[in-house]
Amino acid sequence: MPKKSPQSASARPSAYTPAPDRRFNPGDRVRVKNTYPPGHRRTPWYIRGKPGIIERVCGAFPNPEELAYGFSGEPKRVLYRVRFVMRDVWPDYQGAAHDLIEVEIFEHWLDPA
Amino acid sequence: MSHDHRHPPAHGRDHEAGLPSEHEILSRAMQELLEEKGVITAEQVRRRMEQFDEDFPYRGARVIAHAWADPEFRKRLLADGKAACAEFGIDLEADRLIAVENTAEVHNVVVCTLCSCYPRALLGMPPTWYKSENYRKRVVRDPRGVLKEFGTVLPDQVTVRVHDSNADMRYVVVPMRPRGTEGWSEERLAGLLTRDALVGVTIPGTNQ
Amino acid sequence: MGGEEAGAIDTVDHGMKFWEKQANALRNTLTSHKVLRLDELRRAAEDLGPRYYELEYFQRTTEALRNVLLEKNFFTEKELAEKIAAIRQRSA
Repeated sequence: MPKKSPQSASARPSAYTPAPDRRFNPGDRVRVKNTYPPGHRRTPWYIRGKPGIIERVCGAFPNPEELAYGFSGEPKRVLYRVRFVMRDVWPDYQGAAHDLIEVEIFEHWLDPA
Repeated sequence: MSHDHRHPPAHGRDHEAGLPSEHEILSRAMQELLEEKGVITAEQVRRRMEQFDEDFPYRGARVIAHAWADPEFRKRLLADGKAACAEFGIDLEADRLIAVENTAEVHNVVVCTLCSCYPRALLGMPPTWYKSENYRKRVVRDPRGVLKEFGTVLPDQVTVRVHDSNADMRYVVVPMRPRGTEGWSEERLAGLLTRDALVGVTIPGTNQ
Repeated sequence: MGGEEAGAIDTVDHGMKFWEKQANALRNTLTSHKVLRLDELRRAAEDLGPRYYELEYFQRTTEALRNVLLEKNFFTEKELAEKIAAIRQRSA
């Protein structure tokens, strides 16, 4: 589990940002919302409606769905890496039962499972 | 690694034959207009081209070779890819890097199904196959089949773990260090780390 | 896109033509100087509709860039058309 460093004025670079007000934590079972709103979305179609587990918290980032149209994307949304078992995503999956796929999903696309 | 060090001309075509395509003309037109309007300069674009040609593509292998050689650095790289690269003197700019390690139990492979997100500041430009529809469509559904097309066959007991870099994070694979490389210099180790290995479609050190 | 039926992968990297490298550098310069956001370019590419699948990668990104720059009034259609004509003449 990656360690997040505390942010300071001269913050050392990090892949992650703090997300203290997050709803989910690693290990939580979640399900991606099964909705197809028009417009720019970064939740791939193939993963919508599928059940997974929070693998890590990436941080809080401006909402790409708003940035795409010239808006600020604020307030930031929490982004998670969610782990899915391939067979849960593709009923006819041909590979091994333990194969995985991990996708970045924003909090507003997730429900507790 | 030697290469032809040429400065790309600001608006030339660098020995390309034939008339420019419609899209080439469009791209040049936009660039010239933006330069005329003071939005960007030709030098900025030229400098960027140079970085993509001469700098970025060589960084990934150096970082992963260093991780192979230095177990403590490896831990830090896996904990926070961007921080570890910064420590190593590499500024990844906007790329939020997550390094994922291959083990005897897990093999990682990276894709961006939505466009072609890729850690460009670490690896340079993605290969044409990475950006292709066929790769983007198939690797999330049939990763083992796709890997076979690259000559990579994984036993059933190894877990294949696909990473779709569909949002803010970027990924690099830390392959397993091949046997027989004990005592190698980092430069020599870096020579094993092709771009294909760092995306996860090939395994270094094996006969493909 | 992900999971749809597709054919064999051309596993050879065909590299980039000079103009594609320059187009890439142009796009990258614009986003790193925050003239526009990558998200806007992605959205514009998605909005190309069926053309998305007809165009090659850099053709797509170039058309997406044109649409966003026009949207944001960096230049007008007329200015662009005139510049294109001038370049075409130069290259003839």
